[in-house]
Order: sequence, then C-alpha cells, then structure tokens
Amino acid sequence: MIDILDYRIYQDVTVFDLIFVILVMAVATVFAKIVTTNLRRALIDKMKRDQLELMLKIIYFGIIIVAFIGVLPSLGLDLSGLLVAGGIVGIVIGFASQSVVANLVSGIFLISEKPIKIGDQISIEGVAGFVEDVNILSTIIRTYDGLYVRIPNEKVFTSSITNYVTHVARRFEYSIGIRYSDDAERAVEIIKRLIDEHPFALKNPEPQVFVDSLGDNSVNLTVRIWAPSNEWYSVKMDLLWKIKTELERNGIEIPFPQRVVWFANELRADLGEGEEKRRET
Amino acid sequence: MFGYHELKDFSAEIGEYRIKIEKEGVFYRYIRENGGRKEKNVFTDSGRLIVNPVEPVNLPKEITNFLQIRFRKPFVSEPKSTVEVYATFPIEIAVFVAAKKSVGLVDVFSMQRPKYTLYGNPREGIICRYWESDLHADVPSVDRYREGVIRLRIVNSDDEWIEISNAVFDIYGMKIFYDDEMVCSSASVNILSPKVAETRFTNKPLRDKMKKSLELYTARRISIAGVKFVMEWGL
Repeated sequence: MIDILDYRIYQDVTVFDLIFVILVMAVATVFAKIVTTNLRRALIDKMKRDQLELMLKIIYFGIIIVAFIGVLPSLGLDLSGLLVAGGIVGIVIGFASQSVVANLVSGIFLISEKPIKIGDQISIEGVAGFVEDVNILSTIIRTYDGLYVRIPNEKVFTSSITNYVTHVARRFEYSIGIRYSDDAERAVEIIKRLIDEHPFALKNPEPQVFVDSLGDNSVNLTVRIWAPSNEWYSVKMDLLWKIKTELERNGIEIPFPQRVVWFANELRADLGEGEEKRRET
Repeated sequence: MFGYHELKDFSAEIGEYRIKIEKEGVFYRYIRENGGRKEKNVFTDSGRLIVNPVEPVNLPKEITNFLQIRFRKPFVSEPKSTVEVYATFPIEIAVFVAAKKSVGLVDVFSMQRPKYTLYGNPREGIICRYWESDLHADVPSVDRYREGVIRLRIVNSDDEWIEISNAVFDIYGMKIFYDDEMVCSSASVNILSPKVAETRFTNKPLRDKMKKSLELYTARRISIAGVKFVMEWGL
C-alpha cells in the first residue's frame, strides 16, 4: 500500500500528493458550499438578492481558488516558473478565447455598472422576461412564457437594454375611438372617473385624457396613465375593459370602421325577372 | 369595537362590514362579509382576537410604506415658528389573533378607497399612499372607522416664509392610538429649507388613556431602520 502511495507520477509528485490535492480540493469545495449555504440562510432577508448572490459567488470561488493555490506546490508547480510559461500560454489562449474574455470583461462591467439586477423585467434584442442570474460569462433570462434564455454577456453589454422596473413608476397609453355623434366631453369625464377610482392609477403624475385626433371613423381619445412599475401591467389590463364597458353603459360606443359611398348616377339594382314583374304590378 | 375580544362567538359590525368567528371542530373559522365573503381558518387553543386600526398602506396590496397627506389648502408658515394643526389620515382595520405571546395577522380591510401617488420623479421618487385632508386648528370630528386624526407639529426652522402643501411619512414609524370616540396619531414636520423637510411620527396620543394599536410591521416582524423621512422633492 505504502509502495503505491510513494509511486512517482511525475517528477517528485507521488500518488499520495495527488490524493492529498484531491482531498484538499474536495474539502475546500464542501467547506465553500457549507459557508455559502449558511450565509444565504442568514442573509436572505437582510440583503438584496442580486447582491447576496454576487457575494456568495465571490466567497465560494475565493475559498476554492485559495485552496487550489495552497496545494499547487504539492503538484510540483512552482508559481514563479509558471509566470514565464503562463505568459506564452496566455497569449495563445488569449487568441483562442477572445469571445470568452470579451464575455468575462463584459460580465465584470455589467456587475459593476448594474444596468440590470436579478428579478428585474428587461428586454434585450427581442428577448423579454425576468433576469434570473447575472453570471460572469452570461446572463440568464426567464421569458414571460417560462423559457430559459442564456445571453452571452458581451451581447448584453453591447446591446440596448430596456429595463422596465428600474424607475418606480411608468406610463402606459390607450387610444380609444368614439362615434362622432357621441359627447366627447362626457367620455373624457367617465374615463377620468374610472382612472380616479383605480388605486394604482397614480394621482401624480396626473393622468391625461384628451381628444387626440379626428379620425376617418371615430373621434380618437388618448388616455395616459402612470402606475407603479411593478403593477403597471395589471392596471393596464384592468382599466381598458372597464373603460370600454363603462362608456357603452353610458351610450358611448366605439364604432366599427365605416365609409359613406356616394354614386354619381343612381345605382340600378340587377333584379330578377320575377321581381321586375312583381314591382310592375 | 376596537380592542381585544374572546374568540368564542365573536361577531361585530363595522360600517358595511360584518366580521365573525365560528367554531368548526378543532379550529375556528374567521368570516368577513361585505357583498363578497372572505373566510380563513384559524387554529388555536386559547387565542384572543385583536381588532384595531393599522398603518394605511396594505390595501389592495402592499406596495409601499409611505403615506402622503396632501393639504387641500397650502399652509404658509412664518420664519422660525412652531404650530400645531390637525389633519386626517385614512384608516385600515386589521384583525389579529394572539396566542402564546405572539400575534398573527388574519385580515385587513378598510372603508376607504385606496389611492396611490408618486412623490418625486419617476426615477428617484417613491410611491406613496395618497390622502387629501384639510388642516384644522382644533381636533376635527370624523368617523373613527374611516378616518383618524393626526396632530401635526409644523416647525419652520428656516429664515423665510415657507409654503407647505403636503407631508410624506415613513409609515413604519407610525404610532396609532384609539378609544371609544376616535383614532389618532401624532407627527412632526420640521421644515429645513423651502424644499426640504423632515417628518417623523411621535409616540403621543391626543388624549389620556387612549389605547395603542398593535402595529402591522410589528406583527410581520419587519425590522425598522429609522422612523424619520426627509422630504427632498418639494413641500
């Protein structure tokens, strides 16, 4: 048994050294896991989720890296010697892994600049949903229909990001057409009352309801409402139908497209023979 | 109606609401009726029911912990002055169950229609529960199940005349008191400059022998960082 442990794999590195390294790394991984799990439990109510996750990742990989550097001499690796070799290898790897490095650097900038946080609702180049995680190389999005989308950080960093919830309030808009024969002032009054009755349609900034344009088929009203960013979609869904039904209840209708056609000459209908006779008698 | 009640055969009417407790086998059933019906099962051996006014930021759902009281007529305060005025604030009524030295929230309802607003700008401002009130020189008479009376101690520390038209409070510091006639609270508004004021609730009832309400943030075990709020987006 001792002979096997003393068996040299390369240079002065024996099987014992290798087992020692594996054990140390295993213990370090388990230790890192225990530390991060306990920290997560202790701090989950006291810190923002994105900050907590970032801190836990740094601690987790920090413990593993420290352990790895600690056991490098057991593997016969001299760090000073690695510097020269590392320089050459680094250039080679650098060329080979440009995109990885670009993603890494973008990830560092994303984490420091914080245009997005875990839990935010965002849209990046047509992908909209909740930010699940901001990793060092990629950003994970859970789309509104529950799909998992991984976007490389370089793409996230160089694209325009729309963050729907960074600001505390946001505005949405309806365009509502009513008949020319309807009382537009009454319609405005009804819509304003409905907005006022909705708790999350904000009092300030003041909602706007006004006649926006005289269309081909309808008088078009524009309705602009501010709502808390986290509630805007439910307010938007809720109010539109209420406005529609309340306007109709008050005799104000949203018209179908219609067109009045005038003919230069009287239009002659092509009536059947029987019909002609019946008309003559 | 506000106060501590035995669970057994509890029944009460508050405005258009009717709340009651029914024993069902090993647990109690809490029922609130007002057009619609809300039911909740409560399991306790020897609990008591606590009904009292709470901080008005819970309905229809909790999205903020700030209350903005907008004065219907702006108040112009002279330099280096202190004045006490009275305003009103909305009431939400909470039903707690208390047992084994701990309380749990059963229900929150209100006879006021909630409305929210933005104080400040959309980028940095805060969402607040919105309330409009007149300022009174004396304690106004209000329905205690709908509105409470808040004593505002307005201190103008500046050297200029300053007009103030609203007060924003961090509701987590709110202390609410009640008796058989009214619900009340107290706060101070310290005007530091024409655009900045510091608001803070104080722990003083308007009258002696008023009972202190059980607070929602206490029941929910929310830690309180500070009770004052700095109004930095205008008065």
